[in-house]
Amino acid sequence: MEEVDVAEKVFAISEFITLLNIGLKRSRAKVIGEVCEMKTGPSGHIYFSLKDEKDGSVLSCIIWKSSYYVCGVRLAEGMKIIAQGSPQIYAPTGRLSFIAQTIQLAGEGELKKEYERLRKKLEMEGVFSLERKRPLPQYIERIGVITSMKGAVIADFSNNLKRFGFKVQIIDSRVEGQSAVQDLLTSLNTFKKKDIDALVIMRGGGSLESMMAFNNEILTREIAGFPVPVVAGIGHHKDQPLAAMAADISVSTPTAAAMLVSDSWQRAVLLLERYEQITVRRFEDIMEIKSNMQEFLRKSFSGFEALLLKVKQNLKQTEELMNANNPERQLRLGYSISLCGGKVVKSVQDAKIGSDLDIKVSDGTIYTKINKING
Amino acid sequence: MAKEKQNLNKSLKELGEITSWFDNQKEVDVEEGLKKVKEAVRIIKESKERLKEVENEFEEIKKEIDLEGNDY
Repeated sequence: MEEVDVAEKVFAISEFITLLNIGLKRSRAKVIGEVCEMKTGPSGHIYFSLKDEKDGSVLSCIIWKSSYYVCGVRLAEGMKIIAQGSPQIYAPTGRLSFIAQTIQLAGEGELKKEYERLRKKLEMEGVFSLERKRPLPQYIERIGVITSMKGAVIADFSNNLKRFGFKVQIIDSRVEGQSAVQDLLTSLNTFKKKDIDALVIMRGGGSLESMMAFNNEILTREIAGFPVPVVAGIGHHKDQPLAAMAADISVSTPTAAAMLVSDSWQRAVLLLERYEQITVRRFEDIMEIKSNMQEFLRKSFSGFEALLLKVKQNLKQTEELMNANNPERQLRLGYSISLCGGKVVKSVQDAKIGSDLDIKVSDGTIYTKINKING
Repeated sequence: MAKEKQNLNKSLKELGEITSWFDNQKEVDVEEGLKKVKEAVRIIKESKERLKEVENEFEEIKKEIDLEGNDY
């Protein structure tokens, strides 16, 4: 082919398109996008568009019947694929189409590569770091739940949620496939404004493909930055969804999520039962101590009462004794005391005839002389 | 209270001494005997008063303990 000065040359349209196509053929590339507006032509070629999931840019694509047959992928709208090929302008319409030579599901290999890239990026930023994980508060009451009301998830969750007076608010959201992302983001935003203690995001099991939404970067970041602790019950694949990794706590099933939020209450009930037993035992101990003390008191009291009685008897005896010994009383009764030479006369031997005998009586002394002694 | 309790004790001891004085007396010393009797009567009277106080106090304590007992 001759060297031509393109800027000077005036091309016929067909010539120009041919020239462009030569250049375009060199722009071989892999493109990734979501399949939309798909139709099969009468010839069996497949016409579809690939849409950029971020900004919605669209690329018209064609895959020839033969290539389509070989690639083994059955296209469907909404499917995310990677197409490899080069663009071409179709002269009759002037329209640019990406001629895909091969297409593959943006799953497995590519999906994994993309997943790994994003995982590393978010990991570097510390989105998954353990330090920023919050524990589930104890005794939570208000729970926000985001899940699909279709399927067994919500029933599994409710059946395993113990009766501890939880106030559960549920937002029904699509959870499968790429289109679920927007739903999930809207639900997260709604719950951000609500007064909840914890948020639970759940989905049932499914293929890696159907888990795509939970590897979405924006969703993952939203979960990491959510104002209250987030529990993810997204299911465990070999590669954990990024959203689950960003959540504060990740469990594998809705049942496990329900057990988790019930856990602190459950433990409290056990503790209460134990404390109740301890309290009963302590009370029994106290009753025993009390009865011991009463026994002790009874003994002390009766001992003291006996002591008092003894003192009383002692005083009474002494009083009687004093009465008996009171010389005044003796004298008043008519007894008298005789003294001879200053000595009490107790026998005839104490007296002598002619001696003075002083007789003490109750009101004085009678002085006499001894005349006679019989003895 | 401990001091007064000792007083009652002391009084009983004194009374004991007086009674043994009478027991051991061979000669009747009317004046001394009268003194001892008067002393004994005074001590007995005081002791009875003190005993009454102690009894009252004891009753109070018993009542208090009983009230606490009902609190259980």
